[in-house]
Amino acid sequence: MSTLDRLRDPSEKTLAVMLLAPAFLLLALIVVYPIGKLIWNSFFDLRLSGGGGGAKFVGFENYVLVLKDRDFWGATWNTVLITLITVPGALVVGLGLAMLANLPFKRQWPVRLALLLPWALPLAFAGLIFAWFFHTEYGVVNDVLRRFGQDEPAMWLLRPNWAFAAICLTIIWKTSSFMALILLAGLQMIPKSLYEAAEVDGASKWQQFWQITIPMLMPSIIVALIFRTITALQTFDIPYTMTKGGPGNATETLSMLIHKTTIDYLDVGYGSTLAVFMFVLSLFVTGFYLKRIGRNA
Amino acid sequence: MQRRHLFGAFTAAVFAVAGSLPADVLAQQTTLRVFSGGANQRPDLMRKLFDQYQAKNPGVKIDIETGGATSELQRQYLSTVLNAKDPAIDIYMIDIVNPAQYYGAGWLEPLNQYLGNPADVMKPYLPVYATANVVDGKIAAMPAFADAMFMYYRKDLLEKHKIAEPRTWDELAAAAKKIQQAEGNPNLQGLSIQGAPIEGAVCTFLLPYWSQGKDFNDASGKMTLDKTAAAKGLNQWLSMVDAGVIKKNVAEVKTPDTVNEFKAGQVVFAINWGFAWDRFKDDADSQVKGKVGVMPLPAMPGGKSATCVGGWQWAVSAFSKNKKAAADLVKFMSSPEASKFLAAEGSLLPTYQSVYTDPDVVKNVPWFKDAANVVIAGRSRPLSKDYGQVSDVIRTTTSAVLARTKKPEEGVAEIESRLARVMR
Amino acid sequence: MKGGWLEGPKLRLVAAAIVVINGFFPALWILLTSLKTETELVSKPITYWPVNPTLANYVQAFTDQPLLKYLGNSFLVAALSTATSLVVAAFAAYAIARLNLQRRQLILTCIVASSMFPLVTLLVPIFETMRALNLLNTYTALVIPYTVLNLPVCTLVLVSFFQSIPKDLENAAMIDGCTRIGALWRVVVPLAAPGVFTAGILAFVNAWDEFLLALSLNASASMRTVPVGITLYQGEFTFPWPIISAALIVAIVPVAVLIAVFQERVVGGLTQGGLKG
Repeated sequence: MSTLDRLRDPSEKTLAVMLLAPAFLLLALIVVYPIGKLIWNSFFDLRLSGGGGGAKFVGFENYVLVLKDRDFWGATWNTVLITLITVPGALVVGLGLAMLANLPFKRQWPVRLALLLPWALPLAFAGLIFAWFFHTEYGVVNDVLRRFGQDEPAMWLLRPNWAFAAICLTIIWKTSSFMALILLAGLQMIPKSLYEAAEVDGASKWQQFWQITIPMLMPSIIVALIFRTITALQTFDIPYTMTKGGPGNATETLSMLIHKTTIDYLDVGYGSTLAVFMFVLSLFVTGFYLKRIGRNA
Repeated sequence: MQRRHLFGAFTAAVFAVAGSLPADVLAQQTTLRVFSGGANQRPDLMRKLFDQYQAKNPGVKIDIETGGATSELQRQYLSTVLNAKDPAIDIYMIDIVNPAQYYGAGWLEPLNQYLGNPADVMKPYLPVYATANVVDGKIAAMPAFADAMFMYYRKDLLEKHKIAEPRTWDELAAAAKKIQQAEGNPNLQGLSIQGAPIEGAVCTFLLPYWSQGKDFNDASGKMTLDKTAAAKGLNQWLSMVDAGVIKKNVAEVKTPDTVNEFKAGQVVFAINWGFAWDRFKDDADSQVKGKVGVMPLPAMPGGKSATCVGGWQWAVSAFSKNKKAAADLVKFMSSPEASKFLAAEGSLLPTYQSVYTDPDVVKNVPWFKDAANVVIAGRSRPLSKDYGQVSDVIRTTTSAVLARTKKPEEGVAEIESRLARVMR
Repeated sequence: MKGGWLEGPKLRLVAAAIVVINGFFPALWILLTSLKTETELVSKPITYWPVNPTLANYVQAFTDQPLLKYLGNSFLVAALSTATSLVVAAFAAYAIARLNLQRRQLILTCIVASSMFPLVTLLVPIFETMRALNLLNTYTALVIPYTVLNLPVCTLVLVSFFQSIPKDLENAAMIDGCTRIGALWRVVVPLAAPGVFTAGILAFVNAWDEFLLALSLNASASMRTVPVGITLYQGEFTFPWPIISAALIVAIVPVAVLIAVFQERVVGGLTQGGLKG
């Protein structure tokens, strides 16, 4: 076969290479060198404050230091907790909103727009706005409570547990929009005929939900969960703008620790090591989601 | 025959092209790119100074880059660009706490060879700026303008209730309480300080500590924290919260909050930076025009009044391709003439002692008379190559103590243990 | 469409209200704030409706900074990177969903793994790469990284949508003489339209709101994007909420319009034909 013929009707292998090449070329250009450098840096004591001079090779010493670092474990715990709360939270809220938005309305666009608007608000500003809502004196939350008779304004962002809750609420508000977007499209792919047939067979609404909706939606749910989980493990903007990790380190996440170490402390070596830990954590957690997708086709 | 025509045509072409080139290409023009901070660093006034300099030095063109409105965002941007050793920007305007850290990281060009001996060059400036800008015997940056934390107060309320300017913190607390009770306004705060985990919280920690006459570190940079005094300082703030002088959610208060609340007439005493004076005096919605006074910070009994200095510095990038030209511009921007211009036009505090008493300046900015003593007595925050870490530890812990999630003694112990490794 | 949990127009109104209030209330708060003055924001008790509504903040938002230029830059960068992302992702997703690949899982993992590193740690090398290619302060400097940032989401969304489309239709098209790639564009993508538009909206919004790369790579004023521009209304000691709110409203409106226009495509079209039970 000539090359032209091969291109016009390629074998599976050639086709696969052609289709995947653009993606991998882009990844190679943008991401491979940075990730490589990151992993490389993690084996060095590279602290800019020590004088712009050279990095000192220290092998796995940074990794050992991380495992002994109390701040690391604290931040990781906060991150894992946020993930455990906001991932299912966003899923449940997102699914609920998607199903509500899926109802037949005369005018679709206000509802659909409302569904997607939280996602469109830049992350850092969503954090600042909700920090304002929870402000002790100028926040809407305390104002509403005051009208219901609660005179003593609660200091939401100054109590570790309440601050944590406020942050999780904000994250769920924002990311349920992301989930709803993916799930809504998935809901649209479910043929009406399935429900009609089930109706004829006498299935209740609840049964229809669990036996038709959820299974048919499962691919979308898994995709949404993968990215929600990855971004949950990288939570930065919302706690950073709401509490800066405070009070103390109570709401500091792993991403904030990495940011602080790299940008404020100028400790590039240690920061890189922390990033590798975050990668490993993400890989581990999303590993089994990916297996599911891999098996599906 | 043909060759001569060709040659003639070629020569004519060369001259035509050369003649159409802009004059500066032929005149060896240098373009300097200056990163001059955000709105509070008055790039508009800096632009005017640059224009003056360009007029006197025709071979130089100056472009302003405004990237990063706050110290935080600037550090984010600079740490990326300077880590990549980028030569694109020649001059940076940096905060007073940054020269030590940035010089240590190898990002700043030492200016000794362009400007001279540190001792001579820095003599005319206020001593605190001389110390902050000279690292390991090298001039890391030159002062642009000064700043300090002032104690603003409601002159009208103090007069109304016949109270004199308090000299100690106890007197201030008592005065504030008396006015609060007499006015009967539940929204009137006695004293407003910044307790949020921002850079200003480092000052919140240091002010009562310094006013007991204590030092945070010695001349070599080693930490000399007196834990009892530090705890006493923090306890003082907390006792004012308990007395209702400072509001309970002080750990949420940031610099703009204090200014806005004072402007709205809700505060008796406020600690804030120099920019606030103009806001109180000139803003259209200010409820306190003409009612504001400025006084030195109170001391602890037996101690001394001390305030935190701020201010911005010009530094030359270590990766610049025009270091000599940049150093010359920096020299101009930190000259007494530039300082006088910034003082008169923008109420930016001078770093030269002489400029405070210059008749033109005093005419334009009368409050500098009171301000001078405050700035001159000011002290700088710890000068450390690891200032990023020092600042983070102090401000986070102070905010936690003010939020009452840590006891003062705990907080101080934590500051000591975390910084012991770094500041030795 | 979900067989009606909530019968009747009344309950449907409640449903609509829930979704609309949830989505709009912060935007509404920002809109009201943009009409107030800064001092009004510290009044006790807090005010909702502005005491003296003013449009001065909008004027200042446009005069303090070239907000229109920022909007143009953001739009261009977001649109280009979204289009590129979708095309590249469609190719990759087709390969993963339809072809019998040995290492399908590894390939997926590689694509998704790139999003598992916090961007702040990758900033300096990406900056160096763009500088080496002489692309700093250009649209390309942002379009390429944004394409890569959105690749994982787009790819996975499309994979899941492609997987749920039965193979018969493509096979029918190919029997009729279509190539595989032709089948991809003519059969699969149209049927997966909801997925394509979903991925497109996600990618667009991600690119529109991205901050770190835009701050570092496109710092010069003429190439700045909206998120970076909005942070410049602040000062070291000032945070003028009213002006920032005005700028935020201006920044959200184009995205909202885009969503309103394209939301039809996200949800329309599929159940009408082509798929039988």
